[in-house]
Formats: sequence, structure tokens, C-alpha cells
Amino acid sequence: MRGPSPRHVAEMVRKERRQLLRDPRTRLIMFVAPVLQLLMFGYAVNTDIRDTATFVVDHDASASSRRLVEAFTTTGRFEVVGRSSRSADIPSALDRGSAVVAIEIPAGFAADLAASRPARVQIIVDGTHSNTATVALGYATRVVQAFGREQGRAGGDARVALRGIDLRSRAWFNPGLESRVYNVPAVIGIVVLLMCLLLTALAVAREREIGTLEQLMVTPLTPAELMLGKTIPVAIVGMIDLVLVTAVAVLWFDVPLRGSVLALLVAALIYILAGLSLGLLISTVSRSQQEAFMTMFLFILPAVILGGFLFPVETMPAPFRWLSVLDPVRHFLHVVRAIFLKGEGIAGLWPQYVGLLAMAICALAFSVLRFRKTVV
Amino acid sequence: MTFGRTLAIARKEALQLRRDPRSLTLGFLIPPFLIVFFGYAITFDVDDIRLAVWDADRTQASARLVDAFVASGYFRVVDRLERYPDATEALQSGDALAVLAIPRGYARDLAAGPSPVQLLVDGSDANTATIAIEYAQGIASAHSRRVTLAERDARPTLVPDSRAWYNPSLDSRNMVVPGLVAVIISILAALLTALTIAREWERGTMEQLVSTPVTRLEIVAGKLAPYLAIGLFDVLLAVGIGTLLFDVPFRGSLLLLLAMTSVFLLAALGFGMFLSAALKSQVLATQFAIVATYLPALLLSGFIFAIANMPRVLQLATYLFPARYYVTVTKAIFLKGVGIEVLWPQALLLSALASLAIAATVAVFRKEVA
Amino acid sequence: MADAAASAPPFAEGGEAVIVADGLTRRFGDFVAVDDLSFAVEAGEILGFLGPNGAGKTTAIRMLIGSLPPTSGTARVAGHDVAVEPYAVRRAIGYMSQLFSLYGDLTVRENLDLFAGLYDLSGERRSGRIRWALANAELEGREEQLTAMLPLGLKQRLALGSAILHEPAVLFLDEPTSGVDPAARRAFWELISDLAAGGTTILVSTHYMEEAEHCHRVALMNRGRLIAIDAPSALKASLERPILEVRTSDPSRAAAILDGLEELEDATMFGRTVHVVVSDEAVARERIAAALEREGVELGEVRRVRPTLEDVFVSLVRKSGGVVAG
Repeated sequence: MRGPSPRHVAEMVRKERRQLLRDPRTRLIMFVAPVLQLLMFGYAVNTDIRDTATFVVDHDASASSRRLVEAFTTTGRFEVVGRSSRSADIPSALDRGSAVVAIEIPAGFAADLAASRPARVQIIVDGTHSNTATVALGYATRVVQAFGREQGRAGGDARVALRGIDLRSRAWFNPGLESRVYNVPAVIGIVVLLMCLLLTALAVAREREIGTLEQLMVTPLTPAELMLGKTIPVAIVGMIDLVLVTAVAVLWFDVPLRGSVLALLVAALIYILAGLSLGLLISTVSRSQQEAFMTMFLFILPAVILGGFLFPVETMPAPFRWLSVLDPVRHFLHVVRAIFLKGEGIAGLWPQYVGLLAMAICALAFSVLRFRKTVV
Repeated sequence: MTFGRTLAIARKEALQLRRDPRSLTLGFLIPPFLIVFFGYAITFDVDDIRLAVWDADRTQASARLVDAFVASGYFRVVDRLERYPDATEALQSGDALAVLAIPRGYARDLAAGPSPVQLLVDGSDANTATIAIEYAQGIASAHSRRVTLAERDARPTLVPDSRAWYNPSLDSRNMVVPGLVAVIISILAALLTALTIAREWERGTMEQLVSTPVTRLEIVAGKLAPYLAIGLFDVLLAVGIGTLLFDVPFRGSLLLLLAMTSVFLLAALGFGMFLSAALKSQVLATQFAIVATYLPALLLSGFIFAIANMPRVLQLATYLFPARYYVTVTKAIFLKGVGIEVLWPQALLLSALASLAIAATVAVFRKEVA
Repeated sequence: MADAAASAPPFAEGGEAVIVADGLTRRFGDFVAVDDLSFAVEAGEILGFLGPNGAGKTTAIRMLIGSLPPTSGTARVAGHDVAVEPYAVRRAIGYMSQLFSLYGDLTVRENLDLFAGLYDLSGERRSGRIRWALANAELEGREEQLTAMLPLGLKQRLALGSAILHEPAVLFLDEPTSGVDPAARRAFWELISDLAAGGTTILVSTHYMEEAEHCHRVALMNRGRLIAIDAPSALKASLERPILEVRTSDPSRAAAILDGLEELEDATMFGRTVHVVVSDEAVARERIAAALEREGVELGEVRRVRPTLEDVFVSLVRKSGGVVAG
């Protein structure tokens, strides 16, 4: 078996490039969609608890109760969207979803505080979003405790209130604990993968369906040359997309890029190769575009979810964690997040680089072999 | 529009589906499979936080504080650090997600006044980090109450009485499963129909079809019908899986869910068909359908990221995606058990989207044939 | 076409035939698409594969060009075993299929550029051959048009042009004229004859019986089997019994009535007429008239005709006890 002929590869690359660039709708998908997606999703991927819609039922209507509500709103975490004096309004506000948190201050609240009798405040959260609920509950609890301490101090018993542990938390790599900084680099990975799959998964299946593949395969073109010809233009498009969306992330969303750009580009190139090799593999094992499409559907969702984009890989049950080792998304997300936030370099991330490279090579080799066996 | 001709198209579509085992698999088996798969895979529950401890105090009191962290069940000690600077390495390498730093003199200060303890957290994943900090704060304040209570005097004057409605244990599975049903069906619906019309144009059977007296609306309606049936079947199956396998409560009315699902499916399937009719190419229809459904269904639907957190413009944009309404609907019917008196805006807007999608499909269709 | 002649070798080395099929068989599950096919084609010869749809012509050609591995048997093309040296074979052959298989979203010139590159043409030869292909398809001046926009006849000629850009010694054509109008078909066959005269070996499949008259030899195929292979004239001569062409008011009923009648060998619909193979012409004429009158079918003219290849085909299939596929 001779090696790929550069002429044949160049000829195929030229043909693919012409086909990719000809249709304005394809150009739209290739260059506009990724940027647009990052702009939209960059704003969407935000789990920060800020201005949580809060409903207040204040049976006390005293200066103290108003100060407690103020203590909530001044944190910036809670925003009062409705007030009422009837407890029955809470269920309807939460049912409709117009509020996520409800605070109910009982009658006699100010009197209890003044008399140093234990006062109670009820906090209700909508648990349907368990994550937000956990965090909102935590914040609310601390607001109430701090308010209580302050009241106690005002009551003269400062020594007691100051006792105990003073836990100070500091977040490294992302001191503001902004979820966007963590999620936007991941969106880059997902958007680029999607592009690679969209451009390759139907590529071979389509040529098979319309008969041009058979015409190509009676010329001296080898399967390896065909695959390279299909890979190179898409890899270039992928890299352009990566640079575009990275620019949006850094310049528009102010995500810090602490590591080296070179390390990012190398990782991206390997990842893109892995992604489009998988796309080509899907395309070669499918007999029709429809089949390719369905296989792609089946691949993308698990790849995105097991990759740790929306849910940390560590919290998954063990079998899913093992399975995720085969997911290029998981490795790339690890790499981009480490490069962006921690400033890691290739040295610290080599297992991920090697893993991605191995996937790219295996997928490409397997599609060439598989293609040769089924020829047309 | 005659019922007979619509039925003829629907029957043809159903027959083709029946002979196409892959489409059938996609329609019937994939959604339940994905729901089971992700139902197990996805948890938000942060309950095994890798903690490295630097204890410079080395007293009984400091050991008890570490014990309190471990006993909470949320933290697991993976490393004991010799030197404070080792904390950098532990977090950088990802071996630990948080470092608990107890300075020398902790026990002494505890008796006298506030005793500073530091928690260093890997903030990369803000979500996990925030929850870890929440847990640590809770543990620390409970522990200090226990320690100071021994001295009799520190009865807190203000007690928050917190509870979570609809999901009292704050189990993330109760949130994930209903949302997942909505997301998976949303993606699937557009994909099922994205190829139907384009395929017939590419294969030339559409010219044959439009040369018969059948109207555009009949073709569109007939093609929608079998997929609507598949979608409804999938949702029933998903309710079964969610309640029986994952013990997710189902508090609302099944009939209402099916009715809302039908309207939603018409919008989502109609959108896929619009792409198919407008683009007339399987490759392009696929590309547009995936770009327009996959990530929006995951990210703009409120499944994970609260819509209220998004900028105003983006919030308005989410109204264009049927998935957004359907996530609200499934969560509300599964967990809140509310009825049409709460969900009527969703029903209304979904109906509008469905009509728009079908009207647009018929419109682009007509232009092509004329 | 002088340059094509110069590059086409008259014979592959050692005087071996240019295309040799030896026991080629292909099964798809239980279905035998091609069954034990053996034949040889000499240089400069036009061999026609003739048979109804489903006879196995396309499958046979795909095994010969190496795009479908045979279940058993071997194929040698231009001196190379197709299974062993697929790339040597590919360099020596041109192929055009019944599907239009150029890229519709590339222009005429871009398509020609692509195939010239894949066939390793360069320099003067490359531009010369592209010019030739454009002239041959009468597409000069339309190089920048998208191929999808061309009328079918021009597409077909362009497809043929790009299949023989590299002046292959062997050309495989799978139903190249299906769907093309008669004038274009005539022009097409003139080109084929020119190529063969220049030494190119051509294997062409068709289900138009009259096209087979252009071939030097015809291989008749039915249900995956080769039932006869010979020159068209020889095949027709092999059918020594007379054939009567019967015109009636209702040819399909007439065919049903006459088929299986004593003294008549067989009767087949042939366009608007019925062809009846008989042993004794005079007796047969009487019987035909009697039988049709009894059944109330109005009889028109009955005349003796020269056998066509279709008559030969039908007769051979019947003789072997088979049924015509498709």
C-alpha cells in the first residue's frame, strides 16, 4: 500500500473547499452560527444566584421586619417581586413561578426581638430547581443569622455573639465565583464539536447516496486520500471557528485566558481532529444520510452530558465516569478550563492531550479501514 | 383540507416509518433509553467534596472541627498538608476541591472570641464551589454553636425556619428527570421531521405527490400525525420511567400533560418540517435543525440555567424555543401539581408557535411548487 | 480521438484478453445476483451486457471495476487481478454509471479539474484533455455553470468526458443512455464506436435491445446468469425458426391466447404487436387466425419478420426453462 499522494489530497481539499464555500447557507452555519451561539449561550450559562425573585409576607409590618427584608435585598442575591399580608398568597406565587423564594415574618417579630425571646422567620424556596434552591437557602439562612447577631449585639451582649468560628472562604482561580468564567470555555468546546460533526457526519453518506462516491472510488483515489481530503478543510474551518469564539469569550465576556494561547491551539487542533474523525466514522458506517443523522443525534447528547459541560463528571456514578473517559468532550473541557482559569500548560495536561490524540487517530484509522471494507 | 387525503398521507408516512427500523428505533427506543441513561448519570448533588486539611493547631479542638466536616457527609479528607503553601499544589492539580486551613492558636482563640479558619476553594466551577462554601458555613456555624453552647449562654435570638417546597429533600433527580423528558423530546421532535420533506424532494417523490390533488396543508398535516403519535407515546413512557424507576413524584394531571404535550409537539415537529420544506436539502436541514434545537433546548429552556438570570434580550429570545415552555410544563405538572389555571400562558404561546410553524411550512411549500 | 488511439494498448501483455471474468459470483444473503459468470473481452472490442432490470448487469460491472468484492470467482482487467491490484486497475479504466455522478454543486470546469487531478493528469496533457472534454460535450463557454443546472443529455456527455479524461484502455459504461433522447443517444454511440476503433475496450450494459446492435458481441443475461454471448448477427442466426408478427386489436389478450397453443413455440408481446415463434409458417397462420376468431379478438396483419435480439433473448430464456426477470 503506497502512502497518500499529495496531489490527490490537494485535489480533494480543493473540491471540498469549493463545495463548502459555495452555498451561502452553509457559510452561515460555518462562520456565523458559532459566534451567534457563543454570544447567546455565553449569557445563558449562568448559575449565579443574583436577584432571586422573592415574595415577602410581612405580618408584623414593623421597623424591624422592614430592616430584615432590607438585609435580604442589600446582599444583591434577593429581589422583592411581591408583597402581601396573607400567607395564602405564597403558594400561588410559587405555583406560578413568579417567585422562587418566599419570606414570611410572623406577627410579634419586633416584640420578640426586643424582648430577646427567640423569634422565627420562615423561608420557603421552590425546590424544583434543587441547585438554586440549595444555594438560595444557604444565603437566606446566613442573612437571617447575621441579622440576629446584629440584633444581639445591639442588645448589649456583644461578647457572646462574637464567639465561635469565623470561617472565611476564598475561591481561587475565580474569586468572584462567576459561573460564566467556568462555563463559557466549555461552550467553546461544545460549539466547535458541533460544527465538526455537522460538517462531516453526513459528508460521506451524502456522496454515497447521490452516487458520486462510487465515481470517486473508481479513480486511483485511495480511502486514506479521500478521508484526508474531507478532514483538512473542516479542520481549517474548525480552527477558524475556535479562534472566533475564543475571541468572543475573551473580549466580549471577559473570560480570563491565563494559560498560553499555543497550548490552547494545540489542544483545539487535536480535539477538532478527534471530533471530525468521529464525524467521518459516523458517516462511513451509515448507509444513508438519515442513518448518519440519527447516529449523530445519539452521539452528541451523551457526549455533551458525560463530558462534564453541565454536570460535574465527579458527581456521576462510577460506571458513567469510566464511560466518560472515552468522551473527547470531557478531556477537552478539562483542558480548556485548566488553560483559561488555572493557567496550566501542556506539561500538566499531557494525559488529556495524549488521550485526545489517541481518539483522533483511532477514529480516523477505523473509518479508513471500515471504508475500505465496504467500499461502496 | 379533506380528512381522507390527510389520512392517506399519514398512512403512507406511517408505513414508511414501519419499514424503516432505524427511524422507529430513534422515535420509540432512544428517548426512554436516554432518560434512563441520563437519569442515572446526572446528579447535581455535591456530596463528596475532596478536602485537603492543613491543621497547624494540632489540638483536640481542631481535630473535632475536621471531624465535623467529615461527619457532615459532604466532605471527604483526601490529603493532610504539611505546609500551608502546599494548598496551591493541591488545588492546582485538582486533587482537592477545597482546603481547610486551621491556624496555630485555633483552640485558644475559640474560647476568647472569633477564631479564624480558612476555606480555600477551587472556584473554577462556581456552582460546585458555591455549594461547597454553603455547606462549610453551615458546618462551621453549627459546630461553633455546639462549642459555645457548653458555656450555656449563646441561645440564638433569631432562628430561620427554612423549607423547600415541591422537592423537600432538594434531590436533584426530581429536577433532572422532568426537565430531561422535555429536553429530549424537544430535540427529537425537530429532528424527526427535519428530513421528511427534504428527503422527498431529493428522491423525487415529492413531485409525484404534489401532482395529485392533495393540498400542501394535507401533506403537512398527514406527515405530522404519525410523529405526534410517537411523541405522545414517548412522553407516556417517560412518565412511567420517571415515577417507577426514579421515584419522581407526579402530582398533576396526566391528561393535562398529554394535552400540553400535543400542542408542544405540533410546534416542535412543525419547526423541523419548516426547515425541511424551506431548505429542501437533507444536509442543510440537519445542520440547521441541530444548531437550532440542541443547545437551545439544553441552555435556553430553563432546564439548568435560570431564564430569569439572562439579560432581557436573551430572555425574550427564549420565547421562540418551544422547549422553554415545555420544561416549565413538565416541572410544573410533575412536581408542583398545578393545572391549566397556572399553565394557560404556556398553552396559549405554544399554540401560537405551532400555528406559526405550520403556516410557515405551508407557505414556503407553496412557493416551491408553483 | 487520435490521441486516444495512440495510448490504448491493442492487447494486454501476453495476448491476454483485456477483460477476463472467471466464475464471478455475488450473493446478497440468499439472493444470487450474479451466478458463475465467465467471459473474456479482447482489446478494441465493444461487449454489450443485455438483459432486463435485475439481470445482474450492474452487479457484474461493479465486481469488474473493483467496487464490489465477488463472493467467489476472479476478475482480471487490463492484465491485473481486480482483487489483488485494485489501483493498477483503476488507473487503466474509466467508468460511468447510470446515475449522474458528477458534483452538481461544482461547476463544469471544477468537476473536470477534480477528475483530471485524481487521474494524475498534468501540464499540457491536462489542459488538452479538459479542452477535449469540453468540446466533446459542447460545453465551451459554459465552463462556469453549475453542473446541476445542465440538461440531462449534456450532463451525460460531461460525465463520459470526465470518465475518459485519462484515456483509459478499458471503459465500463453502466446503462449510460438511460433517460437520454434518441438524437443524443445516437451521438453517444458514435463516440463509443470511435473509441473502440482507437483500441479502447468497452463493456457497456443496456436494456435497450436495439442499442445492442452497435456492439461487436452481446452477452445476454437473465437472473444473474449468462445465457448466451456472441455477435448480434450470430445470435439472430441461431434462431432458425420463423417469426410471425401479429397485429391485433388487443395484443395482450392475443399474446395470452397464442402462448402455449399447439404448433406455436411461444408468443410474446412486442410493443403493439405479438411475436410468435413457429415451426411451420403456413400451419401457424391458420391456427392463429382460428384461435383469435374463437376468442373474439380482431386480427389485423400477420407477416414474417427478421428476428430481433429480443426474440433471441426470449427464446433462449424459454428454452432454458426460465422466466424473464424484471
